[in-house]
Amino acid sequence: MKILNSWRSFWVRFLFAAQMAWQGVAINPLRAGLTILGVAIGVASVVSLMGIGEGARIAVVRQFESLGSNVIVIKAHDAKAEFEPEEAEELLERVSGLKYASPVVRTNAVLRWRRARGQVEVLGVSSDFPELRDHKLASGRFFTKWHVEQRSPVAVVGYNIGAGLLGGRSPVGHTFTLNGQTYRIVGVLERKGSGQAEGIDDKVVVPYTTALKIAGRRTVDELWVKAESPKAAELAIAQLGRIYRRKLGLDVTAPKAGGGGQQMPGEEGKANPEGTSPPIPRPPAQEGQGQGEKPALELGKDIITITNLNTLVEEADKANRIMTLLLGGIAAVSLLVGGLGIMNIMLVAVTERTGEIGVRRALGAKKFDLLLQFLMEAFYLSGIGAALGTLLGMWGVNVFNNYGFSAVVSMDAVKVAVFVALGCGLLFGVYPAWTAASVPPVEALRR
Amino acid sequence: MGEGETLELLELRGISKEYKTGRSAVKALSEIDLTVKRGEFVSIMGPSGSGKSTLLNVIGCLDRPTAGEYSLDGMKVERLSDDRLSEIRNKYIGFVFQSFHLLQGLDALGNVELPLIYRGMGAAERRKRAKEALEAVGLLDRVHHRPSELSGGEQQRVAIARALAQEPLLILADEPTGSLDSRTGRTIMELFQKLNAERGITVVMVTHDGEMARYGKRIVRLLDGRIEREEIL
Repeated sequence: MKILNSWRSFWVRFLFAAQMAWQGVAINPLRAGLTILGVAIGVASVVSLMGIGEGARIAVVRQFESLGSNVIVIKAHDAKAEFEPEEAEELLERVSGLKYASPVVRTNAVLRWRRARGQVEVLGVSSDFPELRDHKLASGRFFTKWHVEQRSPVAVVGYNIGAGLLGGRSPVGHTFTLNGQTYRIVGVLERKGSGQAEGIDDKVVVPYTTALKIAGRRTVDELWVKAESPKAAELAIAQLGRIYRRKLGLDVTAPKAGGGGQQMPGEEGKANPEGTSPPIPRPPAQEGQGQGEKPALELGKDIITITNLNTLVEEADKANRIMTLLLGGIAAVSLLVGGLGIMNIMLVAVTERTGEIGVRRALGAKKFDLLLQFLMEAFYLSGIGAALGTLLGMWGVNVFNNYGFSAVVSMDAVKVAVFVALGCGLLFGVYPAWTAASVPPVEALRR
Repeated sequence: MGEGETLELLELRGISKEYKTGRSAVKALSEIDLTVKRGEFVSIMGPSGSGKSTLLNVIGCLDRPTAGEYSLDGMKVERLSDDRLSEIRNKYIGFVFQSFHLLQGLDALGNVELPLIYRGMGAAERRKRAKEALEAVGLLDRVHHRPSELSGGEQQRVAIARALAQEPLLILADEPTGSLDSRTGRTIMELFQKLNAERGITVVMVTHDGEMARYGKRIVRLLDGRIEREEIL
């Protein structure tokens, strides 16, 4: 019963402090409004700037993910290190954990459709391509292994080309010419979106055998393989590193320049999606020259890079997270300024209301009652500011989006901003409130 | 509240109060001995600077003496914590000030309820008590008026109602008529007299107005922080 009574007594005093605190806010609306605005601007800038950062992160991650998961790109940067197209198939047998493989031929050709003509990018790949890069077909089907072996003049077109040819109707079954040779369209790829998946929407995909013919080449400078899982991709990277070092005549067991060891290839190529990164092999010159088939390899230049796209996604994700935090941190400064505004106003309020504090103390208010009252006043200012700032921030994200940003309202940012704003209110409210509570009653009454 | 236990409500023994201003110390009170019995009406008189307000603050537990012993209703005040002093002011002492000291943001009723809120009393009970107190001072028709809408005399009556609602043992009044014209002042003094006579509330009042002082039953004259003489009327 006694506990119940003291709880009830506390509740009465608490409610009253809340009510008095509200009066303190309401008695000077302009001043309270400006203080609230200060906090709101702080919160809004955190929410919107972090929104930009988060939006950029999501966009980049989506872009990388559109390249396909668990994909490893092997690239030769020296004509002498180029690959036979058949090596792709061989890798499937030699390296465990790989599911799909394809050589890659990139070239250009003049496409002629009825009376129109234009330059297009042509991508030559194996029949594993849809599975390898996670592509689906909007209509028709992909070319088969048989087409590849036969060097068939068949093509699968990217979404934009597919949609453009017959004004939206599926062009499957129709023909066009590439550099004068007639190709039959067997399929149209599903849309990936502008800038996604290396701009596949605007490309023509043909069997690599056919593409080599267009390009007038026999070797390829790029191989794609896909591992069963992220774990398998990591293991495959190590294995691929060994295979290509040996092939280039490098001693596998000796420690490598660049300090990477066996794992080195897996760690590299993080800098950009194209995978131009530190070299795997830096062959000793004399050895390279003695090797006959692939002799004059230049020292200290990237020859072959092996890039796990998974790590690229992670790296880009990390870099963007850091950027988001940085933006948030800059915005947090304005939040801090808003907090100082609260402290300033509260100190003024305490000075102004010293007489009132004295009356309350004379009538039996304890220090705690006054502490509570002034703390709640600060809390109101910061709370309203946080709520207003969140709305303002959401609106800001909207505005940014209208200007071409892909900002998102990140719940994390909202949580952090509101939490920090309320924390600021409490932190900066404590000192003035304590000042109020500590004024000796006699002195307070004298004012 | 231990009524009848001790006849003395207030006992001051050798109470001194010094204020330090820079290097020198000003002695506002020096070795005051004063006893006030239950139900008394004491007027404290003296020229300005004689220490009468300081004495009232000490009696009201708003200020602590630098030396001496003070017991209120048998409690040794100098040993009590700040929170406990707040509770004592809340339960035992009703203050009436020269400048009324009402809160402008609250109406008459709210002001009268204020000490009861700090006591933690529930809304229904404190509203009832506050209305009774306002009725006792004849302001039942002004319950929802703000201080700024009331005359000086009415404001002081609200302040007295605020003290009454506390059901105090003691009302401390510091120049209660100082801001009022003499006719209003007299009605306020009559109110104090009535409360003292009918409810047995002890009243200690500070004034420099001889006419007002005469409403009390005893006059204590202060000069330079000492009791100069006492008169029993």
